[in-house]
Parts: sequence; structure tokens; C-alpha cells
Amino acid sequence: MAAGYKTPWNIATQRLQLTSNHLTAPVNSRSLSYSTVDSGSKYSVDYKKYLTDTNGNVKSFMHDVPLDLDTRNGTATMVVEIPRWSYAKFEINTKLEGNPITQDIKKGNVRFVKNLFPFHGYVHNYGALPQTWEDATNSNGSLGLYGDNDPLDVVEIGSQVLDTGAIERVKVLGSLALIDDGELDWKVVVVRTADQLASQLHDIADVQTICPGLLEATREWFRNYKIPDGKPANQFAFNGEFKNREETIRLVQENHEAWDKLVHGHIKADAAKLPNIANTSVSGSLKYQEAYDHKTLSLNPSTPDMPLPEHVDRMYYCGSS
Amino acid sequence: MSYSTRQIGAANTLDFKVYLEKDGKPVSPFHDIPLYANEEKTVLNMIVEVPRWTNAKLEISKEEKLNPIIQDIKKGKLRFVRNCFPHHGYIHNYGAFPQTWEDPNQQHPETKAKGDNDPLDVCEIGEQVGYVGQVKQVKVLGVMALLDEGETDWKVIVIDINDPLAPKLNDIEDVETHLPGLLRATNEWFRIYKIPDGKPENQFAFSGECKNKKYAEEIVNECAEAWDKLIKGQVDPKGIELTNTTLSTSSSVDIPAASPAPAAPIDKSVDKWFFISGAH
Repeated sequence: MAAGYKTPWNIATQRLQLTSNHLTAPVNSRSLSYSTVDSGSKYSVDYKKYLTDTNGNVKSFMHDVPLDLDTRNGTATMVVEIPRWSYAKFEINTKLEGNPITQDIKKGNVRFVKNLFPFHGYVHNYGALPQTWEDATNSNGSLGLYGDNDPLDVVEIGSQVLDTGAIERVKVLGSLALIDDGELDWKVVVVRTADQLASQLHDIADVQTICPGLLEATREWFRNYKIPDGKPANQFAFNGEFKNREETIRLVQENHEAWDKLVHGHIKADAAKLPNIANTSVSGSLKYQEAYDHKTLSLNPSTPDMPLPEHVDRMYYCGSS
Repeated sequence: MSYSTRQIGAANTLDFKVYLEKDGKPVSPFHDIPLYANEEKTVLNMIVEVPRWTNAKLEISKEEKLNPIIQDIKKGKLRFVRNCFPHHGYIHNYGAFPQTWEDPNQQHPETKAKGDNDPLDVCEIGEQVGYVGQVKQVKVLGVMALLDEGETDWKVIVIDINDPLAPKLNDIEDVETHLPGLLRATNEWFRIYKIPDGKPENQFAFSGECKNKKYAEEIVNECAEAWDKLIKGQVDPKGIELTNTTLSTSSSVDIPAASPAPAAPIDKSVDKWFFISGAH
């Protein structure tokens, strides 16, 4: 459990979950009533999507959303960054106070992933596990690789296209150890607990049975997705084999513990290189505050979306499919 | 040539219709738009019905006056094609050649199947996503002979002449060189796309092989001749609405005024993936 941080909000979350468990209904994190507020124009370098509570107070996608890892049921909470079949590389901004979702910027331009034939944009609903961190200061035991300094990445394989900024309760199924530009960058495979497929999916082997071709496609996509940008194919640890549910739950726990050290200031590194750890729910943590001062956040009015550039339609043929 | 569209109603509703106009005057995309866009007959006009990566099964209406593009209806419901993993909706800009007809009265000597009573289908493989009712200038590269529920349903493979790849694509083998895997995916897509609806796998004639440009041009020519007989009233029109505004003297046809509305939301179930075992 993401316990230990007894803010009333967190307690309420746990109560909700307990009640929910009693009713044996899936925990729908939407019942926690988050909202989001947009600043600037989507697809521009200034765009920010902040998470807020029902009173309009900004919350951090990275630190304030409880992971609520249930190790018995293998469920946790996910933040959706990129809807399936879209291209804009939205991600939780680890550097900005309040950790809004922003679009990645490369060479001054907002970044879009390329369509790798036969795929259209992202193959999954892509996102992150809140209150986790892939430790970039410690090499990972036997692999000798450093983490990528981000929350753990998640690929959600359910039937629905999910929205940027959505908070969803998901079931952990397995994971793939991507080595992206030399850094360890795990991709945790999950399905939304409310999805029509969830009752049939319990472990990574079930994905192979119920969704034939999906795991191969996942591997192929992450191997090739930077080739159109002139980069080499990515590598995988463990021969590209998927870890199962149990190993993945352990992985999530470890990365939750790394995050816990991070927010408590126990990571020995240049703070400027680490994520911004200001938060409003982890009392006792180094940068805890009751609320963000909205004046210090770059909250501007929401303005209409920028048009998508025409080049996002282009297909790239890497030849391996 | 300046074609434009006249939209009635909102996309994803039963009211949705897209008429075509030339210089503001209504025309039929089936009968009025010329098949060939140049004298050498090397550039053809194509009508986009379904833009790539979309699911709504839009097609030129055979029954309605001036043949607007409307969404197919099955059992009273709007028809959307399923997403057969790893594909999202249609994988090409899908549409038809104007002034062509796959004659259901004629059995093709090689496929041994009759035509499907529709204009000739076209798959445009360029990089830009088209729009409903777009008239594209394309060049022919090859053709596949789908046998869809027992009827010949040719799929002509073309590329927009303005696509950056167009100068490099001159025949079917160039497609495999520059877009490796695309023809195989096309074959797979048409074989399996009706399986999620409980139908059997479709078959291809010629063992699924894609015939070359020369063969495709002959098919286009045959279908153009069939349409010519149709419009001249030399064959049973099989219920096809033949009204047009450029070929006869009666050139005034009443169609509704434009009333475009924002697209209606599409039901979430359309986003579902279908996993077909052994498809790849």
C-alpha cells in the first residue's frame, strides 16, 4: 500500500478502496473525482495539463496520485499520458512544479512519434505509474543499467481509447525491460480493471492467449520507434522476454520504494538533475506543502488546439513486420 | 478542375450525406466525374470514401439521386469496420473510380465470379490522410482480386500523383521495394475484416497475388466499358440511380442545401481491437 502518508485525502482514498473491496466491485479511480485544467494550446510548447482535486487545487500527477498497489490482486493506479492511436508525446513533466503533463520537446519543436507501419501512432494507451521512480543514480543489480529518471512507464492494452490525464485503476500483467538509449526503461503491461477483457487476463501468458500478436507487436514497436528519427534500434534486457505478473509486482514495489527515497530527500545526487519533488500529499517529505501556490505555477488560460502538422500522417516502413 | 463537397447533417449519423459539386454545381461521383484526368489516361480521378485509420463504412450511394456518399447501414445501425489487430480502421485511403462498374451480369473469365454491382474499389497508399468526398488524382500500380462472399471485388492499388513517393512507384514491384509489407498487410486486412462480424474469411483469386499495372489497367478499362453500357441503358441497371448533370441535357437536379454539422461522437465500442488467431 502507498500508506504512511496520512493526509485526510489519502485516508479517504483508502476508505473508498476498502468499501469498494467489500462490495467486490472494481475500484474505479474516477470515483476519486479528479479533474484536469489545461493551460495554453494543445500541441504547442507552452501547453500544460494540470491535475486538480474537486476544489480546483493543483495536484501532482507524479506525487499526489496514490499508487495504491494491491500486491494480492495486482492492481494499481495509472496516469494516462498518450491515448492509443495518437502521436503527440505527452508525458508527466518531472521538472516542473506541480508535474503537469506536457508535450516532449525536441530541438525546440513539440515531439510526435512516427507511424511505424502497420501501426497507427501508439499501439497502447500509454502512461505512467504515479509514486514510482526509475532510479537514475543506482545501477540495477545484475543488469548494471541505470534507470531513466522517470516514473515507471505503463502500456494499457484494454478495449477503450483512454484520455490524456485520466486516472485509471489497472491490473498488472507483466513487463518488458527496454534499454532506451542505454537507460533501463521498463514497460509495465496492464489492463484497466473495468475493461471487458480484465476478467480473462491475470498474467502475461493470458495476454498471449487472449490477444495473440500483441506482445510481439509491443516488442517490435519499442524496438523500432526511434529508427525513423535516425536512431538505432532499441535493445531489451532478458532477451526481450516479458516478466510475469509476480516479478512485475515486485518491480513496481521497488520503484515505489525508490520514489519514496526520492521525495524524502534520501537520494544523493545533484537535485537539479532529479525530478521536482514538491507535493501536497506526502507529509514528512522534503518538499511537502499543504497546497501549491498557484501563482508560482505557469497557469495560463486554455486556448484552442494548434493544428496537427501534416507530417504526423506519414507511415514509416522499418521492414521487420 | 475544382471539386468541392456539400455536406448534409453530421458525420456518424443516419442523416449524413456528402454530395460532390464541380464549380458549385452538383455532380454525381459515380457518373459525372471523368475517370481519366489526362489525355494519355495515365492519371485517374479517384473519389475518397473512407479516409485511412477511420472506421465508418462510407460509400457512394447507388440508389440515391446524384449518388451522395453515405454510411452503410446494417440492421438499422450505422456500419463501422472493426479494428483487426494490429490495424486501426482502414489501412488505406479507400474509395472508388468514377465512371466504372463491376457488372453483376458478367462473369470474369479468370476469377469465375460475377461483379459486385459497385464502382471499382481503390486503395490509395500515399502518406496523406484524405477526406470524405475528396477527388484525388492517382496513378494505377496493380490490382488484387478479392472474392467477397462469392463476388469479384477488385481492389486497385494506386498512389496520389502528388505524393513524395509517387515518382518512384511505377508498377506493383516498386510497392514492395518502397513500402515493404504493405501488400501483405492489404491481403491480410481484406481476408479477415469481416471475421469479427461472424463471417468467414474472404478469399483472393490468383492465390492472393497482386497483379501488375498492365493487368490493373485492363480491369479498369473493362469496368469503364461496363459503366458505359450501363449509362447508355444497354444493360439491366440493377437498381442503380443514373441521374447525372453533365452527360445529358436535363442538367437541373434538386438536392438539399448544405447543412454541415459537427461530427457526432462514435460509440466507444468501435475502438475495440479484435485479435484474429493465425491471421499473420
